[in-house]
Amino acid sequence: MNELVEIVGLTKAYDAKHVAVNNITLTLPRGKIIGLLGPNGSGKTTLIKMLNGLLTPTQGSIIINGKYVGVDSKAQVAYLPDRTYLSGNQKISEILDCFVDFYADFSREKAEEMLRSLNIDPSTKLKTLSKGNKEKVQLILVMSRNACLYVLDEPIAGVDPAARDYILRTIINNYNPDATVIISTHLIGDIEQILDEVIFMRYGHLVLYTSVGNIREQHGKSVDAYFREVFAC
Amino acid sequence: MLGKLLKHEWKSTWKVGGMMLLGLLLVSFFGWFSFQAPVWQSMSDNGYYNGFTLWDLMSVGVLLLYVIMLIGLNYGIMIYIGVHFYKTMYTDEGYLTHTLPVSKHEILVSKILIGGLWMLLVTIGVFLSVMGLVSSMFGAVMPEGYSWRELWDEMQPYMGYMDDMFKDTFGMSITSYFILLAVMSVVQPFCTITILFGAISIGQLFTKHRVLMAIVSYVGIMIVANMLSSMVQGVFSINQMARSLDDNVLLGRYMNVSLYFSVFLSIVEAIILYIVSHQITTKKLNME
Repeated sequence: MNELVEIVGLTKAYDAKHVAVNNITLTLPRGKIIGLLGPNGSGKTTLIKMLNGLLTPTQGSIIINGKYVGVDSKAQVAYLPDRTYLSGNQKISEILDCFVDFYADFSREKAEEMLRSLNIDPSTKLKTLSKGNKEKVQLILVMSRNACLYVLDEPIAGVDPAARDYILRTIINNYNPDATVIISTHLIGDIEQILDEVIFMRYGHLVLYTSVGNIREQHGKSVDAYFREVFAC
Repeated sequence: MLGKLLKHEWKSTWKVGGMMLLGLLLVSFFGWFSFQAPVWQSMSDNGYYNGFTLWDLMSVGVLLLYVIMLIGLNYGIMIYIGVHFYKTMYTDEGYLTHTLPVSKHEILVSKILIGGLWMLLVTIGVFLSVMGLVSSMFGAVMPEGYSWRELWDEMQPYMGYMDDMFKDTFGMSITSYFILLAVMSVVQPFCTITILFGAISIGQLFTKHRVLMAIVSYVGIMIVANMLSSMVQGVFSINQMARSLDDNVLLGRYMNVSLYFSVFLSIVEAIILYIVSHQITTKKLNME
């Protein structure tokens, strides 16, 4: 069975006028890096939150590795939110303790090795780090898991180009090859080279789900250029 | 996983909770200090005071401060636990809480147990502090050369009479009554915290002003609970008065019913609001 994520008729409506995700049906395979792309307000983050159980769908279902979103699916999904979600008062070592306790697939050695490579002392409190380093620490925590699905929401937004390179390198070098990585971003040009497939979303609808190779072959354009054409204002 | 959640919940609250208990110790010292003023000693020696000195005025001020700080600490721990729950459940930190591979029951139970434990520790601290203050007060006004032992010995002949009076009034012995009060004092903090968490969770059902709506929910729950309590006590009073019972028996029964009903109501409220919190975090979770 190659399917990892099965989304059927998924809808999230905040009220009658605000439908953030509208009747999406999608099946994602294993072993791919998939870009979740769309303009602001297209429903990318809402979809990601539903994948992680942070939002309750109005309709439809999500199955991840044979499990509905819940305790079992959360043990297999590594999620990087688009914000700092860890307590700034905690030391990095305390956060590592927490991940070791709760995630059976978390490798403390791997995390500490990555922290060492960045010269980040685990005894440092998170709030004393720069924005870029906070992002890196959060990414390290996620990529030190041997998950079957990695969901990264805007991992390279708001960091300098050098940090972007580090983040992309970390993703490529550390994800489990049998796993799938979903990356949501606006900065398509920066991540295009690592993507296998792309999902385009607009106004909560699924516009396109195809491989990067297809876009290049059929349209003779890069993903970035094609995105600008599809979503031209 | 519940054990791990309890461990991490304790680790994230012990610093502030510990500081509050330390604060309580400091406040208790103020209480003790206030009874060292000469006015108390002169009261016990002469039966009246010989006029206030600045030291006496300070003593009264410190005593007032003691009472205010004690009340503040009692509410302070509750507010802290409430804010901690809100932060770790419904703000950015909730992204970690709700993506951990644990059930919502485990999350809620761990937070109720640790939050209730802190409330209980502060309640015990306040009780010990007040007991310390009472003993300090007795120490200050007791005549010179008079010891606690002597006071106890003098009270002994009346203990049997007091116990009989207690049995007539409350329908149980002094010991049973205080054991009952102790059990209720242990249960109450956990109920209070569960009700508070329920109100905070109800606030999350609104799309805007969630904190305000949580406070409104809590006030609303308290008003409804007090109304129910007053109604039951009112009905009971009328019913008992109609039987033309002795005043003391009537008062005792009234106090018993008030006590039992308030604890019963707290437990029922806590159970309902636990279910509400669980339903909201399971079926209505909307992390912004």
